[in-house]
Amino acid sequence: MRDKLCKWILWGVVVILVAILPRLVSFYYLNFFIAFAIFSLYAVTLNLLLGYMGVLSFGHAMFFGTGAYAAALALTHIQGFSLLPTVLVGGLAGGLLALILSPLLVRVSGTAFAMLTLAFSQLIFVVALKYREVTGGEDGIGGYPIPPLNIPGLVSIDMTDKINFYYFAIAIVAICIFILWFYTKTPFGSLIVGVRDNALRLDYLGFNLPQTKAINLTVCGTFAGIAGAVHALLMKLVSTVGVLDINTSFAPIMMAYIGGVGSFFGPIIGSAVLHILEDVVIRFTERIGLVNGAIFILVVLFAPMGLVGLFGTAKAKLFHRERAS
Amino acid sequence: MSPTAVLYVAQAIHGLAYGMLLFLVASGLTLIFGMMGILNIAHASFAMLAAYFCFQVLQMTGNFWATLLIAPLFAGICGVLTERFLLRTVHKHGHLAELLITVGIMTLILELVKLFWGTESLVVKIPQNLSGLLKIAGLTYPVYRLFVIGVSIMVLGFMALILYKTRLGKIVQAAVSDADMVSALGINTPLVFMLVFGIGIWLAGVAGAVAAPLLTVFPGMADQLGMDAFVVVVVGGFGSLLGAFIVALFLGELNAYGIQFIPRLAPVLMFAFMALVLAFKPTGLFGERQ
Repeated sequence: MRDKLCKWILWGVVVILVAILPRLVSFYYLNFFIAFAIFSLYAVTLNLLLGYMGVLSFGHAMFFGTGAYAAALALTHIQGFSLLPTVLVGGLAGGLLALILSPLLVRVSGTAFAMLTLAFSQLIFVVALKYREVTGGEDGIGGYPIPPLNIPGLVSIDMTDKINFYYFAIAIVAICIFILWFYTKTPFGSLIVGVRDNALRLDYLGFNLPQTKAINLTVCGTFAGIAGAVHALLMKLVSTVGVLDINTSFAPIMMAYIGGVGSFFGPIIGSAVLHILEDVVIRFTERIGLVNGAIFILVVLFAPMGLVGLFGTAKAKLFHRERAS
Repeated sequence: MSPTAVLYVAQAIHGLAYGMLLFLVASGLTLIFGMMGILNIAHASFAMLAAYFCFQVLQMTGNFWATLLIAPLFAGICGVLTERFLLRTVHKHGHLAELLITVGIMTLILELVKLFWGTESLVVKIPQNLSGLLKIAGLTYPVYRLFVIGVSIMVLGFMALILYKTRLGKIVQAAVSDADMVSALGINTPLVFMLVFGIGIWLAGVAGAVAAPLLTVFPGMADQLGMDAFVVVVVGGFGSLLGAFIVALFLGELNAYGIQFIPRLAPVLMFAFMALVLAFKPTGLFGERQ
């Protein structure tokens, strides 16, 4: 009972903090927080594959980038395209890509899965780079209008205003993360964990493995696409190096690993840690990659379950000692 | 010979040179994967490291031949240290952790290279007697590319001799098919692993050092070489040397002719080929397992 109350209070504090954040910090940190939120959602979708289904998506940027490009293209080419459909188009594009690739991807697991996703993301990266008529090549797509949030007959909220956009982005991310959290709690969510733990047994029990994997892939692709679309709205620029390159694929892997693979909220913690780290490190040195790489290696070496895992072990040890004394 | 025929032959030799380089990198990759189950993402990064070593050593000694010996050796030593102190530590956490640690190593090598040598392209000069043009049967061809092909064939012949004719080679072959069983027979598999990892990196290092004058040395080198090598290993089948050889040569030619006829689609061709193969045979052309 007390635990539950604590939890509610904690959530309340988080919600209030997020709500009053624009009053507390400058625009720079507002942007920073939105980027953190977007990457949290992105890392959570990766973790649904890595931690829950047990396959490493090494080219996750393709879903993220496709979502971002779809949103940017829709805004550039369709006059008066409104805000929510933009986000949906991003999700749709990511999901569609995952659906198209799933017949190939569900057949493999382990390292082959990682390689295949990496190869496809490189393929899409190269295509986006070469077809400059559509994608703008290295320059990317920029200068598209950011539409206001229209609720017919009620209000029209200007999204070029940073604070309004902050609330919008956080709301979208929060809703998506909640949906994904709910998704992991459904029977289907358990089925996905089952695929990781003992696929053969599920097969014998009569579950349809390829379809299960394909559905989970599509869900992950969709939400990664949504994250990409919100990213496109935030940055007002979509370019291959920003959303499709291999570093964009590695970022959520690092986040998930540092936060804790297999724990739902681990990647969010990892995203926070990496973003804060970047913000701190950049004041001393430009070599963020060096610091990130070193930390990543240390985490894989010494804390394979990430910070959440470390916290769990520490807690267990602490309680154990209390009971013993 | 007519000019078009000359062009075709020239592109074929281009493709062969690149294909051989690719196989030097991919052979180590596929051997390591076959034995240890580790897909070494950092493999091409080590090749790049060797290329930078090549530049550095050449600047210090001025002797190209000595450089060609020393640079891959340094890379190999780096590989051995990596295996001993990083990969062996995470071995108990499974293949995914091993894969991820190589990702970390890749990032580290990239950043260190940028830190020490900067981001601009470095030119490695070829010695006089390798830089000319050679006239064979009516077509002129740069000597250095022929030299690359020669060196690759020599190294690979040497490796094949070790792998198929010596006791060590037998152990390695056995460990590729079943490492646990070899260990149970009383052979010190961790040592063999370390050796094979070192030799694999050394092979990549040879490729990197030899390619240094050809591709120029820059931080993006690993991406280019690495992706191609991965495609070779995946399409050829994990752990299959023969598959890697055939696919490496094929991809080299595909690349060379692709750039000539459809320059925009050349990089796409390779991945499309890979997707096609995997769609029908997920284990790769010559592989037996995933």
